[in-house]
Amino acid sequence: MPLKSTNSPYNNGHLSTSSPGSLQIQQLVLSRQGTPLLSLDETIKGGEVLTIMGPSGSGKSTLLNWLAGMLPLGFTATGQLYLNTIKITDAPSHMRHIGLLYQDPLLFPHLSVAGNIAFAMPKGDPKKRRHDISQALSQLGMRGMELRRPQSLSGGQQARVALLRVLLSQPQAVLLDEPFSKLDSQLRQETRQLVFDLIKRHQLPAIMVTHDETDANAAQGKVITLA
Amino acid sequence: MILANSLFTRLVRLSPNIMMTIIAVPILGGLLGVMLPAMGWLPALETSEFGWHGFKQLFDTPGIMSMVMLSFTTSLISTLLAFMLTVLILASYFSSPWLTRIQRLLGPILVIPHAAAAIAISFLIAPSGMLSRLMSPWLSGWNSPPDWLYPHDAMGLSIIIGLTIKELPFLLLMALGVLAQPGIGNSLRAQHRVALSLGYSPMTAFAKVVFPRLYPYLRLPILAVLAYSSACVEIPLILGPNTPPTLAVAIMQWFNDVDLSLRIKASAGALLQILITLALLAIWWLSERLVKRFSVNALTNGKREYADPLWQRMTQLLTLLLLCVIGLSLFGMLVWSVAGFWRFPAALPQQWVSMHWQSALVQMHTPLMNTLLIGACSTFLAVVLTLLVLEAEQQRGKKLASLSSVIIYLPLLIPSITFLFGLVWLQEQMHSRNAFINVVLAHLLFVLPYVFLSLASSYRRLDPRYSTVAASLGATPAKIFCQIKLPMLLAPILIAIALGLAISFSQYLPTLLASGGRINTITTEAVALANGASRRISAVYALMQMFLPAMAFLLAWFIPNIIFRRRYRG
Repeated sequence: MPLKSTNSPYNNGHLSTSSPGSLQIQQLVLSRQGTPLLSLDETIKGGEVLTIMGPSGSGKSTLLNWLAGMLPLGFTATGQLYLNTIKITDAPSHMRHIGLLYQDPLLFPHLSVAGNIAFAMPKGDPKKRRHDISQALSQLGMRGMELRRPQSLSGGQQARVALLRVLLSQPQAVLLDEPFSKLDSQLRQETRQLVFDLIKRHQLPAIMVTHDETDANAAQGKVITLA
Repeated sequence: MILANSLFTRLVRLSPNIMMTIIAVPILGGLLGVMLPAMGWLPALETSEFGWHGFKQLFDTPGIMSMVMLSFTTSLISTLLAFMLTVLILASYFSSPWLTRIQRLLGPILVIPHAAAAIAISFLIAPSGMLSRLMSPWLSGWNSPPDWLYPHDAMGLSIIIGLTIKELPFLLLMALGVLAQPGIGNSLRAQHRVALSLGYSPMTAFAKVVFPRLYPYLRLPILAVLAYSSACVEIPLILGPNTPPTLAVAIMQWFNDVDLSLRIKASAGALLQILITLALLAIWWLSERLVKRFSVNALTNGKREYADPLWQRMTQLLTLLLLCVIGLSLFGMLVWSVAGFWRFPAALPQQWVSMHWQSALVQMHTPLMNTLLIGACSTFLAVVLTLLVLEAEQQRGKKLASLSSVIIYLPLLIPSITFLFGLVWLQEQMHSRNAFINVVLAHLLFVLPYVFLSLASSYRRLDPRYSTVAASLGATPAKIFCQIKLPMLLAPILIAIALGLAISFSQYLPTLLASGGRINTITTEAVALANGASRRISAVYALMQMFLPAMAFLLAWFIPNIIFRRRYRG
């Protein structure tokens, strides 16, 4: 695999989240050891969620890995990826501005709640950063939990911190990898609503991989089922 | 995986090559540096005529056959004993809480340097040691120390005791490590229960069901132990006979002799040593096949008990004996270090003094500083290099090539006495006159494999999604490495550091040779003092040798707790 150096497509740091962006997958063909696995050609507008469904082994997670710039050895891809009309096919993960949300919150255990969020935020005035974190936590009903350790939070709280972490990193697009499958049904509905609301409010293009029909319905977007 | 091309990623990509060079060059160069003189090529002595006279001198040495036999028997018998004891302990305590208790008791032995362990045992079995004192005069009738040769008996029994006691905890810990892996351990325990429910008595169930699957995991540790004990120097030097000693000790003496022409004989001896080690490995491998072949039918013959209660009783007795030997050795050493006047059959000294500690601590200053400095440097290099190599694995998305992983463990498999002298020659050729750097590089050879071994599994087990998430949040590879991976791996990294320090602290031969005898550490001093006049000073040094690695491990265990408690208020 070629190790290519790419400068950040975003020379001015981060773009404002208010302008609707788009994520464009152009003529993607993913192959495993030379055998085609899936092909896709889609454009997702800001605020929309594209849902990908399919049995395990159909290449869902490989697709997410490709989108995140983490295609494992043994897989190859042709096709292009554009984010807000900038080509990012060969950009390394950390320069793509694509946020990832997994089914596990994956909060960094050695950092506090605030530390986890601050890790994600762009550099800036420390006071303002602290203020933004507190405000974001309060908005999701977690006022005053800045210094808690992630392990001491409930499952729902962890999921919300993971969500805040992604949003405050000011992504230009979001990938959701079965994001709600580990939550029980009540919590699942609430968290799902919150995630989709925030995606809409921030006008982020999103791709969600899921097993669950209700997730797909709640996303209210296009659904692609892989064979 | 698309990689950013930063200074960090380039350094990471380069690191496996650096590591391989650091290990392979000294070892291969070292072996070459022994092979050439063995064939008669030693320009320093103006002999560059190839021939067999080195080997002729070697085989003309009086007692050479007994040296070879001593190396042979002590390593084979001690490894066999340690292995059998390991299996017996596992079999009789397999489903009992005593297994972890025994592990906890024996675990610390693992980090005691070989030299210190040998000194402790020599105190136990010496004519005026703890053993004869406890037996006298009520049992033995001795009023003066008995006239026995221990710990320098010609048969090598003392060496066997010393090696067995050092090897047993290692093998036991390896076996328990396998049983602690959920995939293997749980299925073995379940199968053991199945066998019990079929009417097999516990030890037989272990032997017929668990052991055949456990053994393959133990083979490599056993062979490593066998290779090590066949060529180790510290234990036979302290516990072995002097005339003739084991081959490894003799080689060391020839190499260090003022008569440089002995170097040719020593080099030939080093090659013979390699043959002996290889022969031992082959013998073990062959016996393993034979045992397997002749016992395979017994597995399914339906016999459910082989005098189990007797074996059980015997194992309990042996375990108790072992713990007593270890306990008494350590106790004896502690007592000697504070003993004043101590009449023979008395079990405890008549006088307690702190004089030995005071005078030793004053003398100890320079060796102690050397020990700490060399340990810190070699461990730092080893840990940094290991972390970079493991990071390179993850960036490439695949494990090290199998050749590379073999190279990493070479220093543990090839007897060090065979390549260290060549290494010294190599360092002379490269005009590397800085003794400190030479010693650090020599230590690195032995520290690296252990550090790598101890860090690799935790590094590879870390959920890769943490890095993916961090990268998706805009963190560069360097930031992910420093701010996510290193803190999350703090505990295993500290353990690896402690292990690296312990390994470095315990090195005798590499320190002695690479520094040309110019740098003294606690270990070289302890070995030098072991056969000297003052048993009391020797005890202080040996205790210091145990204290240093123990401190390192205590700190490694303590620091994460403190940091964790301080970081969170909630």
